[in-house]
Amino acid sequence: MTTADSRALAKRLLACLVGGLVLAVMWGPQEGSQNDYYFELRTSLGFPRVLIFLGIGVVVFLAMTFWPVLRPFLSRPGVWPFLSGLLAVLAGQTLMHWYDPLGDGKFGTVATAVSQTKGISALTSAYFGWLAWTELALVVVLCAVGIALRLRLAAWIGGALAVIAAVLTWYAQHSVVAKGGGIDHSLGWGAVVVGYLVIAFAAGVIALSDAQVATGRAFADRLLGWRPGLPLVIAGVVLGLLAFYVGRWFAPSSTQYNTDFGGLHAVFAPTALASWAMAYLSWAGWVLLPVAVVLAGIAAYLRSRPLAWVAAAVGTLAAIYTLATLYEFSKIAARVAPTFGSTWQNLGTGGWMACGAFLLLGGAGYVAATAESAPQQGSEEAATVSPAAPAQVADEARSRSFLTAPGAARSLVIATIAFALFYPPTATSFWQSVLVSEIGIYVLLAVGLNVVVGWAGLLDLGFIAFFAIGSYTTAYLTNSLPIHPPSWLVLPPLAAIPFAVVICLIAGVLLGAPTLRLRGDYLAIVTLGFGEIIRIIANNADAITNGSRGTAVDPSRGVNNVPHPSIHIGPLHITWGLNQLQYWYLLLVLVVIVVVLFRRLENSRLGRAWAAIREDEVAAQATGMNTFRVKLLAFAIGASTSGLAGVFFGSYIGFFTPDNFVLNNSILVVAYVVFGGMGSLPGAMAGAALLTWLPEFLKNQVPAPDRQMWIGAVVLLMMIFRPAGLLPARRRRIELSADHLEEASSAETIAVPSHVGGAV
Amino acid sequence: MSAPQPLLDVREIEVRYGAIRALKGVSFSVGAGEVVALLGANGAGKTTTQKTVSGMLRPVAGTIEFEGRRIDGTPAHKLVDLGICHVPEGRHVFPRMTVAENLDMGAFRFKQPDPADLERVLELFPRLKERYGQHSGTLSGGEQQMLAIGRALMGKPRLLLLDEPSMGLAPLIVAQIFDIVREINRSGVTVLLVEQNASQALSLADRGYVLETGDIVLEGAGRDLLADERVRAAYLGEEIAAS
Repeated sequence: MTTADSRALAKRLLACLVGGLVLAVMWGPQEGSQNDYYFELRTSLGFPRVLIFLGIGVVVFLAMTFWPVLRPFLSRPGVWPFLSGLLAVLAGQTLMHWYDPLGDGKFGTVATAVSQTKGISALTSAYFGWLAWTELALVVVLCAVGIALRLRLAAWIGGALAVIAAVLTWYAQHSVVAKGGGIDHSLGWGAVVVGYLVIAFAAGVIALSDAQVATGRAFADRLLGWRPGLPLVIAGVVLGLLAFYVGRWFAPSSTQYNTDFGGLHAVFAPTALASWAMAYLSWAGWVLLPVAVVLAGIAAYLRSRPLAWVAAAVGTLAAIYTLATLYEFSKIAARVAPTFGSTWQNLGTGGWMACGAFLLLGGAGYVAATAESAPQQGSEEAATVSPAAPAQVADEARSRSFLTAPGAARSLVIATIAFALFYPPTATSFWQSVLVSEIGIYVLLAVGLNVVVGWAGLLDLGFIAFFAIGSYTTAYLTNSLPIHPPSWLVLPPLAAIPFAVVICLIAGVLLGAPTLRLRGDYLAIVTLGFGEIIRIIANNADAITNGSRGTAVDPSRGVNNVPHPSIHIGPLHITWGLNQLQYWYLLLVLVVIVVVLFRRLENSRLGRAWAAIREDEVAAQATGMNTFRVKLLAFAIGASTSGLAGVFFGSYIGFFTPDNFVLNNSILVVAYVVFGGMGSLPGAMAGAALLTWLPEFLKNQVPAPDRQMWIGAVVLLMMIFRPAGLLPARRRRIELSADHLEEASSAETIAVPSHVGGAV
Repeated sequence: MSAPQPLLDVREIEVRYGAIRALKGVSFSVGAGEVVALLGANGAGKTTTQKTVSGMLRPVAGTIEFEGRRIDGTPAHKLVDLGICHVPEGRHVFPRMTVAENLDMGAFRFKQPDPADLERVLELFPRLKERYGQHSGTLSGGEQQMLAIGRALMGKPRLLLLDEPSMGLAPLIVAQIFDIVREINRSGVTVLLVEQNASQALSLADRGYVLETGDIVLEGAGRDLLADERVRAAYLGEEIAAS
């Protein structure tokens, strides 16, 4: 080995060890105190503890150094499923909840509680005491031996143990719930069970010989070769089975009546439940699931378009029927025993899961019905889609990955819709409020800023100012500020939407007109100043905005909280109150409207003009577009979206102050857009959702002062491994991956449009 | 030589960058169907002149007429609608768009690109046809220049402004590009060419003007200028300055 080599190795080892130390500090147990600033440092780098982290560093070093040796093992069949199963088990046993009524309800907490509880079965206490981890270690070692030495027996035993572990996990958790009672929606044990089953499957694959794997794979390909919609069918089946056999459908605060779908009929038989709902409980529910599954499955498998439409209709109707039934029996239960919780409040997770399952199955039908036809079309189809999409062609040719397969994008959208519709009711009230006040609002803001930053390429660091303008406009129009509108202009919050949108549009034009002649950094600084100006005006213009007191109730000045939204149109009366879910669905409607509009915008003439300006402003001008007006439009449209979010925010929260609109929030929105992938609508949404979710999720996982650091770490990793963002726009992806450029230059010569004749 | 009613008539235009007078009263005309070259050393005001004609800059004095209509001070995007298409210096293509998308953008002023135009551009530049689905950022310099010219042609120009099409290109490619410009001109497009490569430009141009620090110092037919000693000196001097 040359000295250069050994120096490089030494450098790498040093880097890995330092990385281990950083990790040790990050995983640091506690904050310091005023008297002892170095407490945390000492604890996190304390002697036996630091060895673990240095060990992690060494493992990483070895993995990097011996990567060429390891690589062939990683490509062995079964390794990836094994690793993902392992990840699921680890996540389940460290991060997720096992039993809700108990404090943070994680595995460790439950284990402690079990050890202190008498009269729990020996197997359960053993499981929580030592068996769970021992089992996991055993399974991992056996599978690793199976992989490394190709020892088939070890893999078989490992697989068998994994199955046993799955059963044990199920049993142990259920015996804890049986003993402890209470409402439990925890999923940690489920993740572990699924993880073990995946490991068992992987062990089976590992145990097979290469030839067997090859025939098995060929068979699976023939049987399951990609069919649009099929993944949704599978997801629907899993969710449906969980809904009808595991999930609790009725979970009032009295555990005596908690029941899954099987027991529901008995509970409601004596009540005056409408006959159609009764039919659902007694037989229709049982029948609908298999019918929907079989229809969607056959339609997707045979690629039969008419059948697929039928499946789509059946799935959707079944979801609606389920929803109506839920409403019906929940209402009756609430009437009979109001203490069990009001309508919608006394339900378990099962019903919502069933709705989701039916929606997925219906969606599978829809995807199968609308997918481009013919199976082996991958490359050929992509080449003819449009001559303007060679990147897709290259993608398609290189790897027919899950995400690029036909129908995959639609499937993901449908899964997202199902999740957005039916997950929130099952969430805890904490997560419901996070969904509305953090995730939802910031998704809307990110979608708006994406127009400015992502599409038109203008860095706007004062975006939150428009949000503030929207909020204050709403407050003014609902008569909640010291200055009052004329009485004919006093509006309910939702009616303020058009006004707020128009005012933000005007504000966007007013800010944009003088500043958009600036470029890049200069524009960023000016917008940053604008954001601060608006906040400071809101703070100081006491007579208009009530200053730093915001919209706190103050009868002497005629200031009020912004009223909650309400709709009164003809027979339709909806009043939003304190239930977070209502706001969530309102927000969902707003987001969907905005996203649908923006999608059209993206592909319009204006969208192309934005793309051109972002790429090269001089060239854009040379093609005869009014670049100034185009940029101004981007600014104004982004601002008006922010105004819409402001209306929602104002009337949702009721009381806000200028402190809600600080610079930090502007920067966060920019971060969400960049993180998600600039210029990509799904990216902006995913980025905002993930980065608003993460801090809330970390609240339970790491000490509060460490939270920002973890988020920083995630963002850093992201920028290293996915520099173009989470779900990058097509163009960005190309810009940032060098090998793709080479790929593209060799993969051209395609698809000159047919009307361009022969002459070469 | 020049047509009785010139297509483009520039009279005594003066352009300032702040306190600096970049053009000190430049006059010239371009007749319909001509190729006219603007020559000069770095900083002589060639590009400024062209940017003023294309509406990117506004003259403080003087007039510009296109087909007898005053166009000085008209913004660039409106001039494109009149048929004045500019190929800016330095090959400004949209790097993350494909060749196809770039050409489409060239026809931005129309609702739909004209298939006949596309066919003609791809005939003129077979290389673009080969690279049709490729991202233009991955093209070579010469191909990018071809694309920039092709994109301008998609806007159905009547007056094509070319700014230094030979910049940074290999001699072989330069010759190729000048051949294509000649062909474009033959198909009826008037060309106003800004060049440092005087010999190439003048062998192509019907007429030429030589700019020096914001003034026209010499004008004449292309062949005559090519033979002119002062032009040869300026041309050689520029070579020395550039090296």
